[in-house]
Amino acid sequence: MIIDPVCGMEVDEKSQYKTMYKGKVYYFCSSHCLREFQKNPEEYLRSGPKGMPHGH
Amino acid sequence: MATEKKEELKIKDNEEQLRIVGMHCATCVMTVSKSLKSVSGVKDADVNLATGSAKVILSGNVKLKELVKAVRKAGYDVVTQKFAIKLNVNPEEMPKIERKFETIKGIVDVKSNAGLGLVSIEYNPESTTPEKILKEAGVKGEIIDERRSERSILYKDFYDILRRLIVGIVFTPLTYLFPFFFSILASIPVQFYSGLRFHKGAYRALRNKTTNMDVLVSLASNILWFSGILLHTTFYADASLLITFILVGKTLEAYIKAKMSTEIRIEPYKATLKDGRVVNSNELKVGDIVIVRTGERIPADGIVESGEGEVNEAILTGEQKPVLKKKGDNVLAGGILVNGYLEIYVTRNWDRSYIVQVTESVKEAYNARVSIQNLVDKVSSIFVPIVITLSVLTFLIWKLVLGYDLYSSLLFAVAVLAAACPCALGLASPMAMLVSVRRALKRGIIIRDGSILEEIRNVNVAVLDKTGTVTEGEYVIVSKKELIKGALDLAAIAESRSIHPIAKAFHKMNMKGGEVEQFEEFPGRGIYAKVNGYDVIVGSKDFVKSNCDWNVEDEGDILICVNGRAGGIVSIRDKLRDDAKRVINYMKERGIKVIVATGDSSAYADEIGKELGVEVRKGLTPDDKAEFVKELRKNGNKVMFIGDGINDAIAMREADVSIAISSGTDLAKSAGKVIINSLDDVIELFEQAKLGVRKIKENLAWAFGYNTVIIPIAAGIFYPTLSLYLPPEYAALAMGFSSVIVSLWSLVPI
Repeated sequence: MIIDPVCGMEVDEKSQYKTMYKGKVYYFCSSHCLREFQKNPEEYLRSGPKGMPHGH
Repeated sequence: MATEKKEELKIKDNEEQLRIVGMHCATCVMTVSKSLKSVSGVKDADVNLATGSAKVILSGNVKLKELVKAVRKAGYDVVTQKFAIKLNVNPEEMPKIERKFETIKGIVDVKSNAGLGLVSIEYNPESTTPEKILKEAGVKGEIIDERRSERSILYKDFYDILRRLIVGIVFTPLTYLFPFFFSILASIPVQFYSGLRFHKGAYRALRNKTTNMDVLVSLASNILWFSGILLHTTFYADASLLITFILVGKTLEAYIKAKMSTEIRIEPYKATLKDGRVVNSNELKVGDIVIVRTGERIPADGIVESGEGEVNEAILTGEQKPVLKKKGDNVLAGGILVNGYLEIYVTRNWDRSYIVQVTESVKEAYNARVSIQNLVDKVSSIFVPIVITLSVLTFLIWKLVLGYDLYSSLLFAVAVLAAACPCALGLASPMAMLVSVRRALKRGIIIRDGSILEEIRNVNVAVLDKTGTVTEGEYVIVSKKELIKGALDLAAIAESRSIHPIAKAFHKMNMKGGEVEQFEEFPGRGIYAKVNGYDVIVGSKDFVKSNCDWNVEDEGDILICVNGRAGGIVSIRDKLRDDAKRVINYMKERGIKVIVATGDSSAYADEIGKELGVEVRKGLTPDDKAEFVKELRKNGNKVMFIGDGINDAIAMREADVSIAISSGTDLAKSAGKVIINSLDDVIELFEQAKLGVRKIKENLAWAFGYNTVIIPIAAGIFYPTLSLYLPPEYAALAMGFSSVIVSLWSLVPI
């Protein structure tokens, strides 16, 4: 299983919410997490998922 | 997303579509609408006079039975169908089965006879079929009733009026020819059989504390008939003529309506299976192989398994020229095999087939309301009481103020009742809408939301997607540079998994074999794939550079990155569509600002913009496009978005008017409120919208104008000066024909 780098939820590789950052593909549970990641990818990659900030 | 859109094309779970019988004027619409809304759990009900249908939006758990009951209680009927099945179950299981049936969507009523093992089911043919019901209930049984054809039910109303008209035509002349006593006898069948429709209609309207055209007709004819008997005048004969004349108009109107609403219906075709069995196309399953010979219709959506032939798809695309279909090609149900022989592998069930979805969409579009309709509804609701008041005033003025005799005063008052016609008002806009949507369909334009006919005229900004919309969407690679040996091959292998138009340019490269272990597509930006163990990224400059250690000078449109290093550069070109310039100029002439929005960030996008003379926004992802449309709307613009329907779905949802250019099979995925076959259709759409809205206005002008002119004449304002007056029976003839003219005028293509 893959972990959403923003909320820490388990996500599927089939998730339509994904992005590529520095040559690596990241998957997300929702467009919300995807947008959060895109705003500041380094922060999430450095300090890990921040739990569920957006009311899952 | 695809499945989500497919759902939208069908009746949603919280919606129910009903076909209503017996409505013939605007007040009927209000009555039905009111009665549906009175059922608890009904959020909204949209009733359409021209199609005789109602769309009910439910917020709670409402039983279909309650809706049908409410409509029937109001004095109208809902088209339901019945079938009976013979089940091989024990009697004690019956109640359980009955309950199971009751929970299925589209079921109105279930009655079972445990002793005989028979279950009789009443269902809504708009939302389900016996086959579906049996499948959902998970029972197997034999359908023992031949289904009554829906067409016959819809024509029932027409035949009913026709019968009454014939009685009127036979007996009315006799009322004038026979001496007093016999002529009264001759007027009875007309007054109480032919006129019964109106009396009944009036009764149920009044019982429901509302008024309609029937109230006017019934009141007028009864006043004439009874006063004729009481006062020993021939008024009763005039009553017969009044009823007969009005029935002439009503018969014609009912015929036009029945014909128009059944024309769009698609009945399942006959399909010959490979083993020789002939079944209906709605019985076909995915994976079946059907045989189609010259002259036959393609019974299902599928892929040609073997054979070859030319197919006329005019019913689907409006294009008369036959298209050659051979092994591997897509075919759609409804097309006619002009010559050849095809074996088709069925890929979609009948109710998911393109043609059925189009039919559903178009039926939806009929129900659209134009803004002016709200005003019309308001007027209609107070129309009849006003007319009755005017009639009473007319009587009082002639009798008491002007001192005329009782006969004349009565005739003027009754003429006012007989002349006023709320029907035409109610019919004006839906009829024009119906005709416009149908006419567009015949030209291959699918209007899924009729309200765009009104909205499109206010559009002041048009955003067009580039690839596949203003360009052919067929890219070719015009130059390539390999920085790492084999990079182009790796890119081609990776792109073999994508159906994007740019990817297709790579497909044409003579690639070596390879295995794609992982593949990810980032819409509007590029792809990532693991090919033969290499990490391959192909895409726009920004996308590739932000994911790759790119350290070379680049002059191209598409970059290839292999294992994190600059691998290759490719330049591509796409041809401008022949009709792009024409359509864009047309829009510019209408004062519409045209902007091309594209994911392409290459210099070629600018070239296109220059050639077309329009602003270009390049390098936009699908989200950016949606954002852009949103921004435009926020600034007070009415935005139209034209795209290819799949990549642009999000932007389309943001636009006021969304048009999808579809290749036909993509219908299910496309988000457009309108689906066209080529950009050229946009001009046609604008023309149809112009015509449609003009028709609505003309119809309303006719309907309002008619009443404003004829009511004062009927009231006798020209009698003292010009001796001009309108006898009630001729007023009635005019009343009947006002609806007919509105219906016919909608059909005239000018």
